[in-house]
Amino acid sequence: MKIRNTILTLVSIALLAAFIWYADSNFDSYKIRILNLCAIYTILALSMNLINGFTGLLSLGHAGFMAVGAYTTALLTMSETAKQQNFFLKPIVAPLATITLPFLPALLIGGVLSAFVAFLIGAPTLRLRGDYLAIATLGFSEIIRIVFTNTQNITNGPLGLKSIPNNTNLWWTFGLALVTLILIKSLIDSSYGKALKAIREDEVAAESMGINLFQHKLIAFIIGAFFAAIGGGLLGSLIGAINPIMFRFILTFNVLLIVVMGGMGSITGSVISAFAVTAGLEYLRVLDESINLGFVTIKGIPGLRMVVFAGLLMVVVIFFKNGLMGTKEFSWDKLINFFTSKKRFKKKEVGQ
Amino acid sequence: MAILKTDAITMKFGGLTAVNEFNLNVEQGEIVAVIGPNGAGKTTAFNMITGVYRPTEGHIYFDDKKITGLKPHTITKYGMARTFQNIRLFKELSVLENVVIANHLHLKTNLIQAILGNTYPDILDVLWMPKYKREEKKILEKSHMLLEKVGLIDLKDEKANSLPYGLQRKLEIARALATNPRLLLLDEPAAGMNPKETNDLTNFIRQIRDDFNLTILLIEHHMQVVMDISDRIYVLDYGINIAEGNPYEIQNNDRVIQAYLGVAEDA
Repeated sequence: MKIRNTILTLVSIALLAAFIWYADSNFDSYKIRILNLCAIYTILALSMNLINGFTGLLSLGHAGFMAVGAYTTALLTMSETAKQQNFFLKPIVAPLATITLPFLPALLIGGVLSAFVAFLIGAPTLRLRGDYLAIATLGFSEIIRIVFTNTQNITNGPLGLKSIPNNTNLWWTFGLALVTLILIKSLIDSSYGKALKAIREDEVAAESMGINLFQHKLIAFIIGAFFAAIGGGLLGSLIGAINPIMFRFILTFNVLLIVVMGGMGSITGSVISAFAVTAGLEYLRVLDESINLGFVTIKGIPGLRMVVFAGLLMVVVIFFKNGLMGTKEFSWDKLINFFTSKKRFKKKEVGQ
Repeated sequence: MAILKTDAITMKFGGLTAVNEFNLNVEQGEIVAVIGPNGAGKTTAFNMITGVYRPTEGHIYFDDKKITGLKPHTITKYGMARTFQNIRLFKELSVLENVVIANHLHLKTNLIQAILGNTYPDILDVLWMPKYKREEKKILEKSHMLLEKVGLIDLKDEKANSLPYGLQRKLEIARALATNPRLLLLDEPAAGMNPKETNDLTNFIRQIRDDFNLTILLIEHHMQVVMDISDRIYVLDYGINIAEGNPYEIQNNDRVIQAYLGVAEDA
């Protein structure tokens, strides 16, 4: 059984790699961009699910952590000349002007910085019970945006950063999404992950069972912030230009929507939902354009896809109260059981 | 030697004194009950002992160590575990997971070791097993043993809130036992049980005391259970300790009878 499951996992990873290899050379840039976004949103959704879904905290600061990651990665990977061109109003501060790092170290530094910021916010607020964290993180993501708007000699203020090197490709996004998936899954399955779930279920009981609430909440919050920054860094490098306006609350909301739709507390749900929502939003673009039905032409209504999308979301919320997956997870055993038990059922019918 | 001692603990909520200068003394290996009418402050006393509330005045000693004001998780680590009056299981998690989680406080591997240990593929376990996996295996074995002891092993994969009431109580006790306590606090373990279940429970409590070398402090309304099981009884009424003694003494104490039945209007 164990051997079979491991082989199946390895085969699927190989298939994924083959797909990326194929897509990389045969897909047009539009499709590749959508796939990249899907993988990035997977990272973001997983990181938020760890905080909001598994630990049961309500953090609304994802855009802030993403901003930290995106800016750090951008500033550390841009070349000296690119920086000079960007900072024409006020020159960039001394050490940053000359530093140029490879992509991965830059991403990791962004993640660590964001984790540190999460520690600074979490240390005072996570000691409190109730929804103080929601308010504090919401405030934080707005504050970080305003700070970035006003620190002109570091972030270039409202002008944002342009010509960020496009390091992001399918290998990076899918590779890092896979690494995030594996690490978060390992965490959730470990004793620490079970402790996090216990906190979600009942804080008082968890504390009485010897679980240090503050320490464990902080762990979840910091790890979540780290991966959020990785996602932010990839996003910035994919788009090639970032500015503070990008990291408004609506961005947090988008990620939250993916997590809720997939199921709070389901890794599988987050992955499926990230792909469905990101790709869905793109493919519904047809609705924004004028549609020719042959006998009549409907004028395009910009924003119609958002209306349809909101409708779909309502359907999901009404019929799947806990999101698409609830707290259920994918496993090879379940998948194989699903097929084999069907056969058994048929046999019984024949017998009767 | 007294395993638990409270020195005039008092709890005030604003103007209300829920518990007033309560002195409790529990010896190693005893079963001690705290009884009293509704609202007498029994659960408040429990919450102070387990660290949920910090007493307004007075001190608590566990094994002669002062534990006043410590957090519940620290106190649990010292060897005190509890159950709750209104059952507080991790409802959406399985029976087994409920017990496994209670082992977390004694985990020796750190976060990084746990994550990396879990990433290590299962099929290579025969060659070499990471420290975390070895520890997890031990925890699983212990949890199975505990579930077997309380008779829930066949239900280990069920969701905790799908169990019948009586079994949920037993699971709560099993979960508390998983923290390796020396002192177990039971908050109304017989609440909502039928006579047969109550009878089983009395035997069960004695059994676990002997098997796990425990000292037990319990709150109970069910007088038959209390009189049957307790070595000593404390009676609280309006936050004041009105009597203390063995079951026989308590049954014949005038103040206790008054607190429970009231005073005759004209004698």
